[in-house]
Amino acid sequence: MATTLLSRRMLIGVLAAFGLLAIVILLSLGVGSDNAIGLAQVFAVLQGAGDDQARLTVLDLRVPRTIIGVLVGVALGSAGALLQAAARNPLAEPGLLGVSAGSATAVVVSIALGASLNNLQVGVAIFGALIGCSVALGVARMSGLGDDPIRLVLAGAALSSMLAAVSSVILLTDQRTADEVRFWTIGAIAGRNLSSITSAIPVLLLGLAVALLLARPLAALALGEKVASGLGQRPKLVRTGVMISVALLVGSATAMAGPIGFVGLVVPIAARAMVGPDIRRALILAVLLGPSFVLLADVLSRIVARPTETPLGVISALIGAPILVLIVRSQRLPAL
Amino acid sequence: MDRLSLNPTTSAAHELNLAQPFTGQPTGLWLLRFGRLSLLLDRRAWLASLLLLLATVVLVGLSLGSGTVKIAPLDALAALFNQGETKNIFIVRDLRLTRVLAGGMAGAALGMAGCLLQTLSRNRLANPDTIGIDNAATAFAVASVVGVSTTLAPSGMALIGAITMLSLTFALSGGAGTRGYRFLITGLGLGAICGAATNLMLARAPIDAANDAFPWTIGSLNDRSGITVSLLAWGVVILLPLAAIVGKRLNLVRLPDAVAQSLGVRVNRLRFFTILLAGSLTGLAVAVAGPVGMIGLAAPELGRRLAGPRTVPIVPSALAGACFTMLADLLGRTLFSPTEIPVGIVTALVGGPYLLWFLLRTPRGKQL
Repeated sequence: MATTLLSRRMLIGVLAAFGLLAIVILLSLGVGSDNAIGLAQVFAVLQGAGDDQARLTVLDLRVPRTIIGVLVGVALGSAGALLQAAARNPLAEPGLLGVSAGSATAVVVSIALGASLNNLQVGVAIFGALIGCSVALGVARMSGLGDDPIRLVLAGAALSSMLAAVSSVILLTDQRTADEVRFWTIGAIAGRNLSSITSAIPVLLLGLAVALLLARPLAALALGEKVASGLGQRPKLVRTGVMISVALLVGSATAMAGPIGFVGLVVPIAARAMVGPDIRRALILAVLLGPSFVLLADVLSRIVARPTETPLGVISALIGAPILVLIVRSQRLPAL
Repeated sequence: MDRLSLNPTTSAAHELNLAQPFTGQPTGLWLLRFGRLSLLLDRRAWLASLLLLLATVVLVGLSLGSGTVKIAPLDALAALFNQGETKNIFIVRDLRLTRVLAGGMAGAALGMAGCLLQTLSRNRLANPDTIGIDNAATAFAVASVVGVSTTLAPSGMALIGAITMLSLTFALSGGAGTRGYRFLITGLGLGAICGAATNLMLARAPIDAANDAFPWTIGSLNDRSGITVSLLAWGVVILLPLAAIVGKRLNLVRLPDAVAQSLGVRVNRLRFFTILLAGSLTGLAVAVAGPVGMIGLAAPELGRRLAGPRTVPIVPSALAGACFTMLADLLGRTLFSPTEIPVGIVTALVGGPYLLWFLLRTPRGKQL
C-alpha cells in the first residue's frame, strides 16, 4: 500500500493539486461580481482590519461560499471517482446516473409536504440519492460490468428525466414549493447560510471515510470480480458500500448546494490523467481536485455575466457537457 | 430465452434459412401458419397494426366525445366526417379536433422515433426523451414565455429550438457513430446545458411568468396552435412511410455490421438517415406537445410485444404511441375534471413506476 501511494508521480500530483486548490481558494475570496474588494482588502479583513462593507462581503458572503464550495467539491469529486470505479465506466457520474436527480426530487417532495429549505433535512436528500444510486448500480450490474458504458448512461438519463417529470408535477401544482425551490434547483453555492450546512458536514465526512476505506477493495475489484473474490474481497459488500458512500456524499452535497452536474465526471478524469487509473490514488486526487473545479466554476459564474451572477449549475454544465462530448467522440471509450 | 429478446444471431439464422421451420416462437399467440414463413410473420405485425388501429379509432372517438359537452363516441366519429347534428360537428371539428390530432400525432411521432433509436442502438433505453431535443425545445419555449422579447408563439420557438439542437448535435457528434451512441450522448450533454438554461430562466423570471412557463417543462396539449399541429400532422404523414422503409432496412443492421454490409446495406448512410428521421420526428412532436416523457420508451415496447420480434415495428409503435398519448390526455382531462392535468404529468406518473420496473427487473432479453 505504502509503495503504491508514495510514488513520485503521486507526490507531484498531490502537490500540484494542493497548489491549484490554494490558488483557486484565493481567487474565490478575492474575485467578486464587481471589482470593489480585491485580495489586499480580503487579507486585511482576515487579519481583523478593513471597513464594514469589506468585512460584510468577505466574512458573510465569500468565506461561507468558499467553504461550501470546498465541501461540495470534495463530496462530488470523490463520489464520481467511486462510482466510476465501481461501475467500471468512465461516464458513471452522479448527475448523469440520476443520483443527483433522485436527491433533488426527494427534497422537492419533502418541501411540498411542508418542510422548508431553511431547515432542510439532509436525511431526505440522502434517501433520494440512495434510491437513485441503487437503481443506477442495479442497472450497472445487470448490463454486465465494463460491457457497455453507454447503456448505464441511458438508464441514468431515463431515470433522471422521469424524476425531473415528478419534480415538475409538484412544481406545477404547488405554487409555494415552486417559488421556494426554483432558486435551489439550479445548483449554486452562493447565498447559502453556513449554519444550515452544519448538519451536512458530519454526513459528508462519514461518506468520505467510507469512500477511503473502500479504495483498496475497489482496486481489487478492478481486476475483475473473480480475481477480487480470490483476493478475499466480497464484491457485493463493496458495491453496497459504494452505494451508501455515494448516497451520503451526493446527498449532503445536494442538500448544501442543490443538484450540480458534471463535477463527478470531470474531476475523476483529471485525477486519472494525473496519477493513473489506480482508484487508491485517483480517489485522493479527486478529493483534492473536486474543490478546485467547483470553486473555479464558481469564480467563473461571478465574472461571465458581470454584474449579475450566473448560477454554478449552469457553468458546470457548460464546462462538463463539452468534455462529455469529447470523451464520446474519442475513438473508443477508455476502459476502466 | 425471453421471447422478446431479439437475439441477432438466431434471428439471422432464420432469416437466411427459410426452408427450416421457425420453431422458436411460443405457441398460442398471433402466429398463424400458412404458406411461407415470412408471410406468417408479416401477418402477425399486420394484425398487430390492425388491432392498434382499432384501439386508435376507439380512442379518437372517446377523446372527441368527452369534455364539457358529452358526445357519444360513434356520434363524435360521425361528426368528424361532417355527419350528424350541426352542433356536434362544430364541437368536434372546430373545438376538439386540434387537440386530439396534436396528441395522436405527437404520440405517433415519439413512438416511431423511439422505435428507430432503440433498433439502431440495440438498446431499449434509447428514446427521444434523452437526446436533448426536448430539452432544447423546452428551453426555447420557456424563453419565449418568460420574456425574451419575441413575436413567436412558444410552440414556434420550441420548433426552432428542436431544429437548432438537431443540427448542433449532428455537427458536434460528427455523425451517428457506432450504433448511434455518439449522437445519443452528444445530445444528452447538450441537453444538460439547455436544462440548466431553462432552470436559470425559471429562477430569474417573476413568479407569474415562471408559472406560465412550467407547462412547457412537462408537456401539455392544452391550447396548441393550429399551425404547428398541422405541421406535425403533415410531418408524420410524410415521414411515416420513410420510417417504415428505413425500419425494414434497419432489420438487417441488427446483424453484425460486416454481415449487413455483405447483404448490401450501406450501414453508415442508414444510420445517418435513421437518426435524421428520429430527430425530425422528435422535434415536430416536442414543438407541439412539449417534453412528454415515456411515450418513446413504452410505445416501441408494446409495438414489439404485439408485432413479434421479426420486424422492426415502426407502424405498430406509431399507433401505440398515438394510443398512449391520447389515453393519457383523456385521463388528464377527465379524471379530475374540471381541473385539467397536463398530459406530461399523466405519462410521468404512469410511466415512472413502469420505468423503475423496467430498469430493475431481472436482466432477461436486454439485448435488442
